Amino acid sequence: MMIPTGEATIGPFFPPRYVDAGANDLTRLDDRKAEGEVIEIAGVVRQEDGEPLCNLVVEIWQADAKGIYRHPADPRHREADPRFLGWGRAATGKEGRYAFRTLRPGAPQGRARHVNFMLMFSGLMRILKTAMYFPGEQANDADPVLAAVPAARRALLIAREEAPGRYRFDLKLRGTHETPFFDD
Amino acid sequence: MDTVIAPRDERTQPIRIVPGYPQTPWRNPGEPLVKRAPTLSELTGPLEVAKRVQLLGGDIAGRGEKQAIGQLMHLRLHVVDEDGSPVGGTVVEIWQANAAGRYIHPNDDDHAPVDANFYGAARLATDETGLLELRTVKPGAYPVPTKDGWWRPPHIHFSIFGRVWLSRLVTQMYFPGEPLNGQDRILNAVPDAAARERLGARLVPPTGDPHNALVYEHQIVVRGRKATPAQP
Repeated sequence: MMIPTGEATIGPFFPPRYVDAGANDLTRLDDRKAEGEVIEIAGVVRQEDGEPLCNLVVEIWQADAKGIYRHPADPRHREADPRFLGWGRAATGKEGRYAFRTLRPGAPQGRARHVNFMLMFSGLMRILKTAMYFPGEQANDADPVLAAVPAARRALLIAREEAPGRYRFDLKLRGTHETPFFDD
Repeated sequence: MDTVIAPRDERTQPIRIVPGYPQTPWRNPGEPLVKRAPTLSELTGPLEVAKRVQLLGGDIAGRGEKQAIGQLMHLRLHVVDEDGSPVGGTVVEIWQANAAGRYIHPNDDDHAPVDANFYGAARLATDETGLLELRTVKPGAYPVPTKDGWWRPPHIHFSIFGRVWLSRLVTQMYFPGEPLNGQDRILNAVPDAAARERLGARLVPPTGDPHNALVYEHQIVVRGRKATPAQP
């Protein structure tokens, strides 16, 4: 057995060109439009004292509109939308804001619909992983990952719908209203 | 092939709040991290990142005919999983300072000079044997703005996707024998000495091929091993 390599911070100098234009738009692939309802997910990322963090890298991974992941481990992957990659990247701007254009995911096998998040930043010694859930979904109550989060903190993982199809999901790395992060 | 992700030995991974690294206490979680059993969401992941972001060439030691200043080096990077099996076709992002210790980045306002022929970023995919090769110049050391004598030793950054969401890795590679390695606060945030040792590249004895560059080899292990098929 090999031992996984030690992580390290992404540091302050991740090349700006690595956040390619359009990398935060998951609704198209090879210039073809994916199937499903287009939504926007945006939010602000802050550190303990409330200061918004600029230049933080956010990556998301999600199922397509039918709840299928584009990956061979998903038993239904052959039916996955060929125009939907499921992955995107954004970096926060000066006000700490990130934004994605994506599709409302379907519920993957055994889970409520959700979007998986990863955060990488200068001074973050390891990647932080979390998940965003949708408000008003009955399936949230039965989701095994949400159930693993202490009850008092679960609401922090549920986005706010600011307008139809426009979701706000703020992230706090530490302190008051700290986002629950997962250890796998 | 289904992937199994087991918890890592904490001593092989960096501590989160690092003494002398002033940003770390503001940014790393204070609440206990939540343990979860991986589901399909974490045991799948993007395999075709290159359809969203553009691959860039494997020779960054200059611009066209114009060579960057510094010690030419050739890096052979092997990406494997916890079984030691090669991870082919995975995207690896690489970035580094120039030979004087300066990055091309708006955040780097260090005194060291920019090299017009060096940008310092490559994005490549491994071949089916898990290998990628990069021609570059050896990065220089640079002082951290803490101004208390912390210098980063020469190092190269990697961002790697692997086969599933939980195999995503951001790490740094160091050079053997560098006197600054022993005092670096990021390298030494990994408690286990053998794990730190594995973050170092290996200088391959020169054989004349290529004749004009030092050859380094480095291995990166991403998380995940194959599931053992259930017995009938």
